[in-house]
Amino acid sequence: MADLSVNICGVKFKNPVIAASGTYGFGREYNELYDISMIGGISTKGMTLEPRLGNPVPRIAEGTSVILNAVGLQNPGAEHFIKYDLPFLREKGIVIIANVAGKTLEDYGEICKKLDGLADMVELNISCPNVRAGGMAFGIKPQSILEVTRVAKDGLKKTPLIVKLSPNVESIAVNAQFAEQGGADCISLVNTFTGMVIDLEKRKPVIANNTGGVSGAGIKPIAVKMVYEAAHAVKIPVIGMGGIMNGEDAIEFMMAGAKAVQVGTANFANPYAMPEIISQMNAWLDSRKIKNVNEIIDTVKMN
Amino acid sequence: MKDLLSVVKDNREIAENIYMITLTLPESAGALHGGQFVNLSTGDNSLLLRRPLGVCIEENNELSLCYQVKGKGTKKLTEAKAGDKLKVLLPLGNYFDLSAYKNVAVVGGGVGVFPLIASLRENKDKNFYAYMGFRNKNAVCLLNEFSHCKSYTVTTDDGSYGKKGNAVQAFFEDIDKLNVDAIISCGPPIMLKALKSGLNGRGIKTPCFVSLEERMGCGMGACLVCVCKTSDGKNARVCKDGPVFEINSVEL
Repeated sequence: MADLSVNICGVKFKNPVIAASGTYGFGREYNELYDISMIGGISTKGMTLEPRLGNPVPRIAEGTSVILNAVGLQNPGAEHFIKYDLPFLREKGIVIIANVAGKTLEDYGEICKKLDGLADMVELNISCPNVRAGGMAFGIKPQSILEVTRVAKDGLKKTPLIVKLSPNVESIAVNAQFAEQGGADCISLVNTFTGMVIDLEKRKPVIANNTGGVSGAGIKPIAVKMVYEAAHAVKIPVIGMGGIMNGEDAIEFMMAGAKAVQVGTANFANPYAMPEIISQMNAWLDSRKIKNVNEIIDTVKMN
Repeated sequence: MKDLLSVVKDNREIAENIYMITLTLPESAGALHGGQFVNLSTGDNSLLLRRPLGVCIEENNELSLCYQVKGKGTKKLTEAKAGDKLKVLLPLGNYFDLSAYKNVAVVGGGVGVFPLIASLRENKDKNFYAYMGFRNKNAVCLLNEFSHCKSYTVTTDDGSYGKKGNAVQAFFEDIDKLNVDAIISCGPPIMLKALKSGLNGRGIKTPCFVSLEERMGCGMGACLVCVCKTSDGKNARVCKDGPVFEINSVEL
């Protein structure tokens, strides 16, 4: 049994496997299947100050080795989370990352203030591709990433700030640097790639929103490259994600420079994905006599 | 709820483009009720989503599900042979709870007929009056499952089998002589809409429960992909809060 624990911004994770925002709700449903206290942490469903109903259905489509979603930030609001979900997650003893979004800069500042000292970390969703006027609007241009990060950081006196980056950009390295300049304590990437799937019979996109965020196994090589670029452009820690389906995928992201990983779409294909990934990482490290998972972080050597 | 590695026992076309797959479960998944569904892997790892299929027949850890071949996933499912292994997450969703009722009308359309069969099977003590609509005679199947109903009427859109028309029309033709205390239904959205407006238009207050269908992600209530609108303007998760809803509690 290798030591899988990692420390990010002073927050201790029992293992580096975190549930990715939007695929795992607030943990209650997966806890009906297995005790979620075994995972490293959870990035919650993206929250806003007020409850949101999200986009019309259909909200999901499928391609080869990928899925597309456009849920549109349906959530019960931050207040509901604090009252009902936070106590449940606290009992589970996992790192609680509150994923937050807003329409305006002020929204981001306010929701961060609300969650300061309550969540273990706050993850700024500035890269949701499915919401007009907000979300990704803040996540594309370096200057706006800098501004929204500053505002969020202002609201967070105690809780470390993760900025989740969109891959739909010109330079992931530059955007990572602007988030760092704005005061981010950590960066996570990649959010989904914007895409579209067409129903040939109807000659219409499958998803009601027309476009959706592409995730799943098919995006992994692109995500690994972007994580590598971001991790080597900043000094702050990076959490990697994008198509992780098994333990070896998780190891690959950590070799590219990620200190921890998030697992999303894999939970749909295999509802036991996260416990399995944790044991597969362990087996991989054990078979190579590596005692501590931290030893593999950022060990890739470029040709 | 469990995710089990099931073994395919049988998989055959029972009507045009309609298959029944029978799976042997390695262990009991607990009680399964009519209206509940499972999330079945297709056997193609490049398809990351499972396929949500209503429970049709369940006996001694054997599970039969019916599906219409529509896209890549269901096409792939038709290739599953006896002995193949498929992952199945179950049981999912709520069910038709008929404990308070004795005389029940059953209105099914197309593939919506199949999830109703499980309800008929588990409630042998009830009096069922079934109305089953199919596209044409080639789509008609599993009629033996309705043989113990007090009455059953089969319709086809083109009149090539049974009565010409659809299940909702046939049900409303009989409504005055039927004395039911509940209605259960599953079928395409247009059929459920017609049922709702027909009931409300006639001022019929008999409790009516419908099973809804929507494209799903996790199938267990976490991802909020498969929502429907409730009559009070909120969202409900079809997979977790449903798939069975009181007909007036949801927008159709």
